[in-house]
Amino acid sequence: MNGEKSRVNISRREFLGLSALGLGISLAGARPAVAASRAAAPDEVAILYDPVKCVGCKACQMACKRWNKLPNESTDPLGIYESPRGLSAITWNIIKLRRTDVGWHFFNYQCMHCTDAACVEVCPTGALHHDPMGFVALDRDLCNGCGYCTQFCPYGVPHLQVENALTGAAKSAKCTFCQDRLRAGIGGPSCAEVCPVGALQWGKRGELLEKARARVAELQAKGMNARIYGENEAGGLHRLSILLDEPEQYGLPSVPKTPGLARFWQRVVQPLGNVAFGAALAGILGVFLFVRRKIRMEEVR
Amino acid sequence: MTVQLRGRAEAVTIQWIPKYTFLERLGHWLHTATFVPLALTGMVLYFPFLRPLAQGEAGEFFRLVHRVAAVIFGLLPIVYYIFQPRRLLLHIREFLPRKEDIGWLKAAPAYYLLGKHEVMPPQGRFNAGEKLNGLVMMVTWAVFGLTGIPMWFGKGVIPPELFRWLVVFHDLAMIVAVCMFLVHLYLAVAHPLMWAGLVSMRFGVTSAEYAAEHHAKWYYGPKRAMEIWEEKKREAAHH
Ligand code: HEM
Ligand code: SF4
Ligand code: SF4
Repeated sequence: MNGEKSRVNISRREFLGLSALGLGISLAGARPAVAASRAAAPDEVAILYDPVKCVGCKACQMACKRWNKLPNESTDPLGIYESPRGLSAITWNIIKLRRTDVGWHFFNYQCMHCTDAACVEVCPTGALHHDPMGFVALDRDLCNGCGYCTQFCPYGVPHLQVENALTGAAKSAKCTFCQDRLRAGIGGPSCAEVCPVGALQWGKRGELLEKARARVAELQAKGMNARIYGENEAGGLHRLSILLDEPEQYGLPSVPKTPGLARFWQRVVQPLGNVAFGAALAGILGVFLFVRRKIRMEEVR
Repeated sequence: MTVQLRGRAEAVTIQWIPKYTFLERLGHWLHTATFVPLALTGMVLYFPFLRPLAQGEAGEFFRLVHRVAAVIFGLLPIVYYIFQPRRLLLHIREFLPRKEDIGWLKAAPAYYLLGKHEVMPPQGRFNAGEKLNGLVMMVTWAVFGLTGIPMWFGKGVIPPELFRWLVVFHDLAMIVAVCMFLVHLYLAVAHPLMWAGLVSMRFGVTSAEYAAEHHAKWYYGPKRAMEIWEEKKREAAHH
């Protein structure tokens, strides 16, 4: 190494190459922009539930079991109207009896098909994804059973069908909006199709919101404290509900919080990690190139 | 043990002295042999561009490998220290950060980048950089276990609110540990000054001359090492 040349140990080209490497790795993990920032469009499909119309006949619950070929679930007969006790890997739709401050009434629970869906955000396989029609689909063949969705959903909807708790072999399960029916063009979700009193309806989200607003006005005129749940929650739900009290009275969060943490994990922690990997690898390679010129093995003891 | 290496110009004589016990080396390599598959199988879930590997049966397989490796990775230090309780005390003493580690930090750039031996104050059997690596591996081992075990068995048992934070911290531990591992890997296999490190972790011995130069406090004992170091500094100032 002599004079002029030895002062520049890393050439400009190498420096640019290293920077490109670091940047490349930093971006390698970047998520394709998921639908989270978009709002639910009016022509997407949705379900509207009206608990005032609901007579608690459970036809929806049965229709869901039948269409999705879900087995029976044994439950403890405690004389409670609710059976089984809640959603599970084999019960995707359930009627529960709620006692709110304004009295007893039925409420139907199923997946809310969020626009800003925590489950989609954290699913590492894409098994959970936004169907272009608007609902949140689940393709079970892609699922690897990690169970993140079951822990991040703010409504506690997905459940793991566990084959082996030790190895972790499992598949996630939840209401799919009867995705197979919609994709095949057979009709709408079986629960809404079967409801004899129109408490569950399905259709275009924009139109259902109109109906819901009219219905809320009607109920308010009768002196009820009615409101719509799902218009803006979690980016807008594709399962809209009419409530007669605070969401908490139905076990629903007023502000579904989880999407924030899911996004923090996926869009802050993980990208920062990628920047760290990129910087580490590019830095090491740079040091390697530099040191190879500076320190001669023959002089080392 | 003395070995002669013949090059074109001259013969180099290396005198080997023991540095690591057999169990220390076995532990080190079992740690490596489980850490690397753990990092790779974990990344299958972490990197969106590896998504095809995470899907369906492939994903189930990698999750299973992660669990098998995690059992060995988790039990390894525990089993090791049950059989080697005195090494536990020794390692704690060797790995605790000390004030003088700042001296290593100040000298590190000139030492590692320019090969300036004379600026580096005497180091123990593990230099401050190796201590940092060791501490990061110990702390992240605990974080992996404390977060990973409830992630394995805790679904439906612990509150989801807690689970969510566990995955985030499992990822943070992975990011820190993998960056540290990359630096460690480079220094071990490709840095010219560190040539004896890999030899000693494989065969348990190191060159006496290398030890005197790089691990003086261990080779001479702390007191004598400092004396030699002060003496050298005085001499250098004289010239
Ligand atoms: C005691 C040791 C460990 C245990 C018990 C453990 C356990 C787990 C579990 C249960 C999961 C969730 C996936 C599943 O359910 O199969 C997971 C994910 C993961 N693990 Fe570990 N693990 C351990 C060590 C490590 C190590 C050493 C690394 C990396 C250096 C690592 C990196 C990861 C990563 C990157 C993920 C994916 C997280 C994500 O989805 O972003 N783990 N681990
Ligand atoms: S309710 Fe839960 S499972 Fe359904 S879309 Fe929202 S986050 Fe996903
Ligand atoms: S359990 Fe299946 S659907 Fe749920 S997050 Fe994991 S891969 Fe996705």
